[in-house]
Amino acid sequence: MEKLWELYKNGDWVVPFLIFSIGFFITASVILYLLIIESRSKNIRRERLRAEYNNDIDKIMSSVIFEDVSFNSIKEDKNFMVLFDTVFFRAVIMESVINLHKNYEGAYAAKLEQFYKDSGLIRDSFKKLKNLKWQVKCKGITELAEFNITTAFDRILTFSKARNKTLKITALNACIKLAGTKGIVHLAEHTDPIDDWTQLNIIGAFKKHDIGDAKGVELLLESQNTTVIALGLKLIKELKLTQKVPYVTLLASQAPNNTIKYEAESVIQALTV
Amino acid sequence: MTFFNNEIMWFLDWYIILILGYAILIMSSYLVLAYLSTKELRSYLKKNSFVDYEVLLTSEFAPKLSLIAPAYNEGFTIEENVKSLLSLNYNNYQAIVVNDGSKDNSMEILIKTYDLVLTELDIHYKIETKNIKGVYTSRNAAFKKLIVVDKENGGKADALNAGLNIAQYPYVVCIDVDCILDKDSLLKLAKPFLESHGKRIIATGGVVRIANQCIIKNGRLVEVNVPDVMLSRIQVLEYLRAFLLGRMAWGRLDGLLLISGAFGAFDKEIALLAGGYDTKTVGEDMELVVRMRRYMLENKLPYTVCYIPDPLCWTEAPEDFKIFKKQRSRWMRGTIETLSFHKKMFLNPKYKLLGMLSVPYWTLFEFLAPGIEFIGLVVTIVFVIFGLLNWHFFFLLLLFVYTFAVFFSVIALLSEERTYHKYPKQRDFFKLLLAAFIEPLYFHPMTVYAALVGYKEKIMGTKGWGEMTRKGFTKK
Repeated sequence: MEKLWELYKNGDWVVPFLIFSIGFFITASVILYLLIIESRSKNIRRERLRAEYNNDIDKIMSSVIFEDVSFNSIKEDKNFMVLFDTVFFRAVIMESVINLHKNYEGAYAAKLEQFYKDSGLIRDSFKKLKNLKWQVKCKGITELAEFNITTAFDRILTFSKARNKTLKITALNACIKLAGTKGIVHLAEHTDPIDDWTQLNIIGAFKKHDIGDAKGVELLLESQNTTVIALGLKLIKELKLTQKVPYVTLLASQAPNNTIKYEAESVIQALTV
Repeated sequence: MTFFNNEIMWFLDWYIILILGYAILIMSSYLVLAYLSTKELRSYLKKNSFVDYEVLLTSEFAPKLSLIAPAYNEGFTIEENVKSLLSLNYNNYQAIVVNDGSKDNSMEILIKTYDLVLTELDIHYKIETKNIKGVYTSRNAAFKKLIVVDKENGGKADALNAGLNIAQYPYVVCIDVDCILDKDSLLKLAKPFLESHGKRIIATGGVVRIANQCIIKNGRLVEVNVPDVMLSRIQVLEYLRAFLLGRMAWGRLDGLLLISGAFGAFDKEIALLAGGYDTKTVGEDMELVVRMRRYMLENKLPYTVCYIPDPLCWTEAPEDFKIFKKQRSRWMRGTIETLSFHKKMFLNPKYKLLGMLSVPYWTLFEFLAPGIEFIGLVVTIVFVIFGLLNWHFFFLLLLFVYTFAVFFSVIALLSEERTYHKYPKQRDFFKLLLAAFIEPLYFHPMTVYAALVGYKEKIMGTKGWGEMTRKGFTKK
């Protein structure tokens, strides 16, 4: 300790320190510069590959949708299968199939769903649910919900109770898409507050997926959690569920606090006027 | 004489150690902030990739926003600027344009273009402002979101206060009328207000970037370019460093003192309770944030300020030194005024992180840094004159500071590359890299000089903004 103090006091450390720091800054700058170059070239490479893959994928998907070609016929092409085993190609084809599925309905959408199952892309999505990273889980959930894989509902439902808010919202959206109100009635037992952003996402999911059957929404009004009650009221108001007015009237007469009472009354007014 | 020499040598040793210590402290703080910013940025981008902003567009429960855009002598661009304000991707908002006693024909243009008529609004004048000559709304239903306030000139803060009085919605978004906003900027700015976890969100701010030489079409930015003019080019780099590597970290620490006046949203109730914008300072944006935070802390109300790293607002940077000097000296005056109004907070544990870290940091590294650098320059000249300068040590110290500055700029470039990647053209990247090498030698001395002018103006009692002429954006 004394030696260190002496070294500090006589100032002998200053020059070596400066030389070391300069060397460090120069080396670090060069390394960072190389990282930027690497990142840029990787992006360029990926974009080029993506464009190439998209050309092939467009042809394949067009044959699947419009010519009824099955995955079994496609996999006879060895070049395709070699590509299909690469992670990046699978990611690009997944994106492409999802985008197409968003744009098509009816028979075409059903063909895409079949392709998703036959090609094994569905396995990739299920695998993602087991990943430790929440963002990968979210991806898996979104994919499974997009293709209406109702068998995944129970597993996705467990994620809707997650602490991570993004994962929770993604799972709730998926649950609503897969099972309508069944995907949110469990929230009646929810103890943590549900913030306005989550509430807006839930309402958005109902509107986006055009969930007509609102059976069970009234259960939210019986929750001990006032944010869940507020969610129920907002849902009833935004979806114009006039058949739920008696439940709202009951809530207004037994509201746990004035805010809820006021909100309930405003919903009644909006739906009955 | 020997005694005198010994005294000088003792002073020299300690001076060098002090300056070096200060440099190390400032550099370390930059690195710590950069580390925190990078972490926060990555976390934000991960979360944001799953966010569907459409839910805000279609919901009646989206926060209601009143945009306040003060305008002074903006006749050349006002028509287009207001058009761009009215075409933002958001439903629950009104746009309040405050004509702050313009001497040009701004008001006539607005009345004619937007078919405005005088209207009687139920206004609660909670903050005193200069006389309001009239409030106008449009007869055309297409412009029903627009309110134009014509008032006597009172400066930007006064115009913003007039807007605060007239705003009908619970959140106000204060913007510079000549800024180019990203079409989703309001969606992104409004979202945090819905995410309070027992803490009231009193303000949100976003990243401002430089739009010089970028291509603008119909009031929207369509092509990002790096300016050829070195002064504005270096400001691109400077903004990247400040916003991506600085404010993001302060946001994470919840110690943000400044939300850019160019684009920020506030909880109207708290802004009014805190007293609105202070017309006595030219740093009204920073001063309001500090005062709102102080109000919340003094009243023991849980709160937070949010910061969004997305580039939401694009502004024009000064391209010539004269305008640049005016802008930066004003910024320095604003900093001095804010820190002096709130000196009570300095190292005061009652104000928690704000008092113990944010305010001391701004005092030490934003307010005092140019002064310390100037003293350093004077002492160096004195050393040279008296032959006391150790040239070997001097060059090492110079190289130490220079290499750090370049290193830090490269961190900012890497951060931008890995996140928003707004400058994909190879040529633009190399232009920015070149700027990183030139910045410490060309731009930094200019900022120090402008800050010293700010000190001088403050001492001389200079008030007001001075004329800020802008060149205008490149349009397509």
